[in-house]
Amino acid sequence: MKLYKFHQQRMAPYLFLAPFLILFVVFGLYPIAYSIFMSFFDWRMSGMQEFVGLENYTRLFEIDPFFPRSIYNTVVLLIFGSMLQHVFAIPLAITLNQSWLKGRGFFKAAYFLPYITSAVAITLVFNMVFAHSATGPPTGWINYALENWFNIPRVRWLSYPPAMHATLSIMLNWQFIGWNVVIYLAGLQSIPTQLYEAARIDGASLMQQHLRITLPLLLPVIFFATTLSIIGGMQLFDQPFILFDGYGGRGGAGNAGLTAAYYLMVQAFGGIGRFGRASAIAWTLFVFIILLTVLNKYVNKRLEER
Amino acid sequence: MRRSVQVCLAAAVMLLVGTAFLFAAGQQEAVVDVEPFDPDREYTISIGGYGELEDAYRAVAETDEFQERFPNITLEFETADFDGHHERLTTVIAAGEATNHIEALEIAYIAQFVAGGGLYDLAAEPFNGLEAGEDIVDYAMANATTVDGELLAMPVDIAPAVLFYREDLVTDSGVSVQEMQNISDWDEFLDIAERVTRDTTGDGEIDQYALPTAAEVADVPLSGGAGGWFGPDGDPLEPREKFIGALELVRDIREAGVDADLGAWSEPWIQSFADGTVAMTANGAWFGGALRTWIAADVEDWRVARLPEPASIGGTFLSIPEQVPDDKVMAAWKVIEFLTTNPEAQLTTFETIDAFPALATVYDDPIMQEPVDYYGGQQVREIFAEIALEHPELDVTEFDAEIDGIWGTAVTGVIEGDLTVEEAYEQALQEILAVM
Repeated sequence: MKLYKFHQQRMAPYLFLAPFLILFVVFGLYPIAYSIFMSFFDWRMSGMQEFVGLENYTRLFEIDPFFPRSIYNTVVLLIFGSMLQHVFAIPLAITLNQSWLKGRGFFKAAYFLPYITSAVAITLVFNMVFAHSATGPPTGWINYALENWFNIPRVRWLSYPPAMHATLSIMLNWQFIGWNVVIYLAGLQSIPTQLYEAARIDGASLMQQHLRITLPLLLPVIFFATTLSIIGGMQLFDQPFILFDGYGGRGGAGNAGLTAAYYLMVQAFGGIGRFGRASAIAWTLFVFIILLTVLNKYVNKRLEER
Repeated sequence: MRRSVQVCLAAAVMLLVGTAFLFAAGQQEAVVDVEPFDPDREYTISIGGYGELEDAYRAVAETDEFQERFPNITLEFETADFDGHHERLTTVIAAGEATNHIEALEIAYIAQFVAGGGLYDLAAEPFNGLEAGEDIVDYAMANATTVDGELLAMPVDIAPAVLFYREDLVTDSGVSVQEMQNISDWDEFLDIAERVTRDTTGDGEIDQYALPTAAEVADVPLSGGAGGWFGPDGDPLEPREKFIGALELVRDIREAGVDADLGAWSEPWIQSFADGTVAMTANGAWFGGALRTWIAADVEDWRVARLPEPASIGGTFLSIPEQVPDDKVMAAWKVIEFLTTNPEAQLTTFETIDAFPALATVYDDPIMQEPVDYYGGQQVREIFAEIALEHPELDVTEFDAEIDGIWGTAVTGVIEGDLTVEEAYEQALQEILAVM
């Protein structure tokens, strides 16, 4: 009886954990292990064709012209679309954290609203805003304004590669700045106000207060938020996919909208179902994300040590 | 060894064993060993489709002939939007999960299944689809047939490409109806397009364009781009002149300034068919249904003419996935056979959703000669039928969908002036060779 009770007590935590663990193994761990396996095969819709070893990985760097392009696009959008958000989000959060500001709740909701709006709806609206026509009257709102109000020639926002990057970056910044503002606001509210009072007594200017107190104490939050941005940026898919005609569009003119995750989906669903190659892209992307996260951690650590 | 490490190792081994077991199961050859159709048994057959197909096939199922021949078959439907349907189908077939007993495929998606497998070869016994479909237009059968002779699906409707034009706008521009009806080559087409594109209000700005976008004619010289991407020797984008010619055509159209450069299915593009911004557009026969019912329902001057070359833009095929239980396969085939080769079923589909019949024998039906009010009494169905019968047969390969995507990027490069014709051709060729 005592032994039974002992076993019962030992097993109880595992039983409580079991629902999560079973679901995690079946829907999380198993597909992950399965995709590693798939990445070593020529794997089509009907299943495994033949073992190809590391060929699915090596061809990404040696043969495939689309993968380097997709990585380039992803990195450009990571810098100007995902990381740039923080340059805007931190000052905005600091402003929203000021007790003298009226209507803080309204501004917080306004900034956060794009984040909770469907990416599909946002992309469709941006498609109208940035539309371009080479002939006839300008169809997009931005080009209309440029041409009629500022006498600036219309821009091929959706078909000229640098402009395509700009369009996507603007959209990503607009959509996700509010999310980062909320994260930074939470971080700012954990900084003791006495530190600012002491700094003011010592004669520190507002800029000095933020450079010497706010930013250093916000570093762990900055690391958290930038890590999320790196992961999200490297997995960017919805917006370019919708904006540049899905699988058939392959990222539009010059493949400038083809991100790594978008290319992964094109490989899996946009042709003959090359699931082996798609899995290899997924794992290569995973390694890139890990490397960037480690780099981010290193930079943050160095900054914390200063 | 610590117990936790042992547990982790055991879990890893179990995962690998499980994975290996699944691989072994996936490796088994699909055996076409189907039960014969039993007329005394009740069958419920599900059809996965997109758009308005469900309306058409429901109407067919309610016809007396279907009820008399298959009183024991009940049809069920799973309908999704166009992309959602094909994405679901790709996913479930790849995962080996249950599918509908019949799955519709748009022509562009046939190629995906050529090498990927997952669909029954309907040319094989006991289907004998090639014999059953001998009255279906040849090009549509060729579109669903692999170079190895496998028939992946049966064509149920086709979409011959035609030139829709506004009679009032082209005649006001000095182009006669006779000229529109006798365009014999692309030079004539371009000449007419240049005359139609003009400033109608005299304010110095062009407000009437021949075409909504240059890209819409890019695939016409390629017979629609559903197959035919490889030359006789198996080399992609051959014969070179054909593909160079297609790129030169879109370049010339853009350089002539005769297209309004409106993104397909954007709001300005849709409006342009009703507000007089465009006077012509090249599209599949099905587009007439969209014009008539919602895009330009109040415009009375749309007419139809032949393009310089026979081509098709669209078309629906019906397939049976290999995951369908053996006892349902022949019932599914009976339904497909009826929908694709029975004249009444084909005409019912046509009358319900304007999907042009793939079955050539119905082209002699009086309804095909009837004048259509929307087109000012023009006998447009005769034009569609003529094109269907003249359309060349093209080989379909597993790479077609990828090539089509790559080619589309090259076409965009030429239209936007970022690439010369030669650069675009070479870039597309190198990319195709790299991904194959």
